[in-house]
Amino acid sequence: MLSHLRLCAPARTPVCVLTGCSRAASGSVKDKQPLKKAKTPQGRLDSPEEESRAALQKFPDDVNPVTKEKGGPRGPEPTRYGDWERKGRCYDF
Amino acid sequence: MASVRAASRLLSKRILSKTTAVPAAAVQGSRDFHFSIYGKKTSAKVSDDISTQYPVVDHEFDAVVVGAGGAGLRAAFGLSEAGFNTACITKLFPTRSHTVAAQGGINAALGNMEEDDWRWHFYDTVKGSDWLGDQDAIHYMTEQAPAAVVELENFGMPFSRTEEGKIYQRAFGGQSLKYGKGGQAHRCCCVADRTGHSLLHTLYGRSLRYDTSYFVEYFALDLLMENGECKGVIALCMEDGSIHRFRAKNTVIATGGYGRTYFSCTSAHTSTGDGNAMVTRAGLPCQDLEFVQFHPTGIYGAGCLITEGCRGEGGILINSEGERFMERYAPNAKDLASRDVVSRSMTIEIREGRGVGPEKDHVYLQLTHLPPQQLATRLPGISETAMIFAGVDVTKDPIPVLPTVHYNMGGIPTNYKGQVITYTEGSDKVVPGLYACGESACASVHGANRLGANSLLDLVVFGRACALTIAEENKPGEKLSPLAPSAGEESVANLDKLRYANGSLRTSEIRLNMQKTMQAHAAVFRTGSVLKEGCEKMDAVYQTLADIKTFDRGIVWNTDLVESLELQNLMLNGVQTINSAEQRKESRGAHAREDFKDRLDEYDYSKPLTGQVKKTFEQHWRKHTMSTVDVKTGKVSLKYRPVIDASLDEQECAHVPPAIRSY
Repeated sequence: MLSHLRLCAPARTPVCVLTGCSRAASGSVKDKQPLKKAKTPQGRLDSPEEESRAALQKFPDDVNPVTKEKGGPRGPEPTRYGDWERKGRCYDF
Repeated sequence: MASVRAASRLLSKRILSKTTAVPAAAVQGSRDFHFSIYGKKTSAKVSDDISTQYPVVDHEFDAVVVGAGGAGLRAAFGLSEAGFNTACITKLFPTRSHTVAAQGGINAALGNMEEDDWRWHFYDTVKGSDWLGDQDAIHYMTEQAPAAVVELENFGMPFSRTEEGKIYQRAFGGQSLKYGKGGQAHRCCCVADRTGHSLLHTLYGRSLRYDTSYFVEYFALDLLMENGECKGVIALCMEDGSIHRFRAKNTVIATGGYGRTYFSCTSAHTSTGDGNAMVTRAGLPCQDLEFVQFHPTGIYGAGCLITEGCRGEGGILINSEGERFMERYAPNAKDLASRDVVSRSMTIEIREGRGVGPEKDHVYLQLTHLPPQQLATRLPGISETAMIFAGVDVTKDPIPVLPTVHYNMGGIPTNYKGQVITYTEGSDKVVPGLYACGESACASVHGANRLGANSLLDLVVFGRACALTIAEENKPGEKLSPLAPSAGEESVANLDKLRYANGSLRTSEIRLNMQKTMQAHAAVFRTGSVLKEGCEKMDAVYQTLADIKTFDRGIVWNTDLVESLELQNLMLNGVQTINSAEQRKESRGAHAREDFKDRLDEYDYSKPLTGQVKKTFEQHWRKHTMSTVDVKTGKVSLKYRPVIDASLDEQECAHVPPAIRSY
């Protein structure tokens, strides 16, 4: 809900966001119209994270096709180098 | 100063007027104390027995748990489940404890992937500990492991599954089948790639079913000891600066490790060894603090570890001259040498002045010569890691790395039931009323070296063990023995002294001095002269604590004060670590010395035992170090305690006689 409000009020006027929040929370909204969601400017907020996430995509149905593990770690097998690796970081050894 | 006194007078007036129970809702505007929660017994009493400046709130519980990580939460709700009125004091919100960062798995001999037996896990753990682990505690942990994992799964922890729906287990952490002779064992259970996070959240969620009283953001100052018995804890509420005494017949310490004594560590800023220090100040010993687990390639400044896979894929370590120095130290294996060899080589390069950076205190890990496509397919996410934590583009610049602390095998000595022990007159004696579990305890299951994925298991098994032991030996609602009204006054005096400290060195400066000294002298490269020099330097840094300067004179959310208290705790851990390392003249597990490269046991296990004369206890080193500190002078005294070689039941699980550890 909060991100919804952040979209409808620009960052420069935080007061707008706060009142919006309490208005909805108190339940005493006079006008029953739903808050209009502003359109995200095309291209401006397209997150570059999408490409880097591609490295660790979820398996189809969350089942690892090689090991048939369901709900396991995404990406290549974390223990393939002898330690527990994810995104180049070692977590346990 | 006058305004502070006026404010504290005002505070005491407000507190005394609030002794009648007032519902929290009625005082929404003013700051109310943490402990007046709906429906709870507000039996806390205010007194000024210690000081009129610092009114103390007294609470009475059946059991108090200090720390709310994996072990603390498990102990806390285990006790609540058994009907005890339990308080859980934590300086962090439970789900922010460092357990959340443990992403590796948890070992258990469930036998889902192949036929498995917990006795084989027992053997692997004893071997991994380099025969310094107490075999009864290891027997207890490995036997309870399958039940513990199933219990977690029943609490709702979403382990990854095989096709049949059983918990999926993978190969990890030096685990073998048939006592090392049957090949690799698959014992590590995990939850996607965030086992520790999931464990902590599962335990926290489960704990909310029981009525444990959580005292969040309360910093535990000291134990309340009387006649060698632990009668509770005194803590500072960070939110409003009030002092609280928690009287209880049973106190469980689960405060975690002390990675922050070193300059480079993977631990959170809050891993300051508070429990170890509380025990030290109470005059009790800490065990095996010299055993600290290092990893060779931790990112400089960030403390995040870079996987060995980088070197496996062709990455090389270079010094300030651009030389691939591993060729000199390990001509055959080069950068793929074992972790301790790599760590030691890196440290030697830094010591000899060939380190990089403005302070020449680290080396570089170069991946720029590898094709970027190959790097992206084999090590996905590494460019992101390097950019976020080191600020380098991994295809253009090398990553700054240095050996980094990851885990502390040592801690508060306990028996396999979780009761804190001291070693006097040749036998273990239980300290009544005091228990410890988790990384802060030393049961000792990890001995001289911890195996991967055994730490999370240690947390849940011994957290539960503490709760079970307390439930066995006590009844809920038992009357508390009387406590001197002025108990805890030294802690409050120390707090007051730190709050108004006006020396010349800031807390951050003293802390950095300590961290740099420990990193240079008590890290991977240990040899007599380096350690001795380190002991003297650490002693000097310890003395500078008297010259500390703090800036915040307030009492409400005084982080300067809390950081200074944490620094005092870190310092106690640091001096014990380096002194214990200096005295231990052998190499065992994580403690590797250049001048004493071999393990010194009672027999030489590399040769047949017949005809060998058994060394006396003073002559060999297969024993636990028990260190105590004289807090005023900073002088460390060391005693030694034998390793427990017998398992809990020789018929069920024969103990493993010592042998040479080779993988």
